[in-house]
Amino acid sequence: MTCILEFDDVSYLYPGRETFALRGFTLALPRGERIALLGRNGSGRTTVFLRCNGLCRPQAGVVRFVGNVIQHDRKSPRWLRQQVGIVFQNPDDQLFSTSVGQDISFGPLNLDLDAAAARRRVQEAAEMCEVSDLLDRPTHALSGGEKARVALAGVLAMKPDVLVADELLSNLDPWVRLSVLGIFHRLHRQGKTLILATHDLEVVQSWASFVVVMNAGQAVFAGAPDDLLGNEMMMAQTGLATVWGARSGVGAPELL
Amino acid sequence: MAPFSASRLALISGIAVHIIDRYAYANRIRAVDPAYKVGLALVVLILCLVLDEPMVGLLTVGWMWSLATLFAGVPGLAFGRILLTEASFLLLTTVGVAISINTKPPTATDWIWRLGPLWVSSTPEALNLGLHLVTRALGSAAAMNFVALTTPLVDIVELGRRLGVPVLLLDMMTVMYRLNFVLLDSLDRMRTAQEGRLGYSSFRCSMRSIGLLASRLFIDAFQRSQRLQKALDSRGYDQELRVLPSQYHRDPAILLAGVLVVTSQLLAWRAA
Repeated sequence: MTCILEFDDVSYLYPGRETFALRGFTLALPRGERIALLGRNGSGRTTVFLRCNGLCRPQAGVVRFVGNVIQHDRKSPRWLRQQVGIVFQNPDDQLFSTSVGQDISFGPLNLDLDAAAARRRVQEAAEMCEVSDLLDRPTHALSGGEKARVALAGVLAMKPDVLVADELLSNLDPWVRLSVLGIFHRLHRQGKTLILATHDLEVVQSWASFVVVMNAGQAVFAGAPDDLLGNEMMMAQTGLATVWGARSGVGAPELL
Repeated sequence: MAPFSASRLALISGIAVHIIDRYAYANRIRAVDPAYKVGLALVVLILCLVLDEPMVGLLTVGWMWSLATLFAGVPGLAFGRILLTEASFLLLTTVGVAISINTKPPTATDWIWRLGPLWVSSTPEALNLGLHLVTRALGSAAAMNFVALTTPLVDIVELGRRLGVPVLLLDMMTVMYRLNFVLLDSLDRMRTAQEGRLGYSSFRCSMRSIGLLASRLFIDAFQRSQRLQKALDSRGYDQELRVLPSQYHRDPAILLAGVLVVTSQLLAWRAA
């Protein structure tokens, strides 16, 4: 198994906080897989994502991308951000431009592509995310699902090897979810590594080929989805048994 | 009924911004080079200011309304309503120029009326000055409305880039414009949530809710700006918001319209 991202004893404490977002976090993520990252809110998943993209500098430990230690000099983040694209949970945090086409072109132009190449990238990404007809629309006039797909297109236009999506599916209707999962499927067939933060165990079961469970800033499980769902002790320890049981009606709390 | 409040006023102005923005994106001359549209409006506006004749101001209003409705396809009622809103503010401010109100009887004025303890007076010169002010300002406002209703900000920014306006200023305009809509959405949601918990059931509650809303919105704006910065950095932001320029076409009809408007303004000035 080739690893694309490796975290070695990484710790991170946000300024003004008392508990570590990541505490001795160690994990190796396999290349070309569909990875689901599970964990309660506040378990450190977003911090891991920001770390993947070099957006926050760890106070301890190292992170490697395809075996190379990620540095924090002036050039390294640029190289890393070309390789690892991140889609944020709320598309409104990501869309800055007044028009869809211009927003998608932001990443390619930052890679120093000329206008013609950037325009091609915009077209390709828009077609993949099914937003070609929205290119001239203002970003504030889009629906939630359209915004999510435009935000995804903005990242895919940079052609990253790894796509990281922070709970992208959580606020989408089932139709848009299917559409986004379809895009993920096509990206996976192209050999991309996909990392998706989710609370949805059905997505884990049906979509993921590798799953990581986080708790209090640490990875407590990393392996195949079936190994997790079949591991009663792990499911109970992480509290996932309650969620999974509620879905199937087994062991559901009385409240449900 | 909930009392009229600052948050409601902000929401109403937000709706107006949305309406103007919708026409700016959906009109028939949207794809015309913004330099043509802004150029036409600026020439017309400057002439309206320099020639300073009521007839020229009224003619400018007529022309701009016609161009926006017949040429660009903006509904006449929408243009009229926006102009009416501006006109009402203008009239209120011009009252102070055209009419004087004193507690003592004025001297050397042509028209004097007594209203209880107050003396209301005016002169033909003051009324004429008021008329000049209103028509000149309305003509200028109509020219600006033509730009606002036919040219979205993305095109204005693009034009600014071509004219060499500092990139930092244009980037700030772009982000502020975008955040304006995001924060208006936040404001709408927060206000609805407050209203659902009787936040505007009395004057006292309203004042408290507005205070809380303002402080929360400020924090929200700050947090959003931090998240936006992270999102921009993740896509390789390097001190400049680099985006592809839009593609426009040049429409000679706009130039022809410009010649017609300017000629008619000059003829009206000569005739006056």
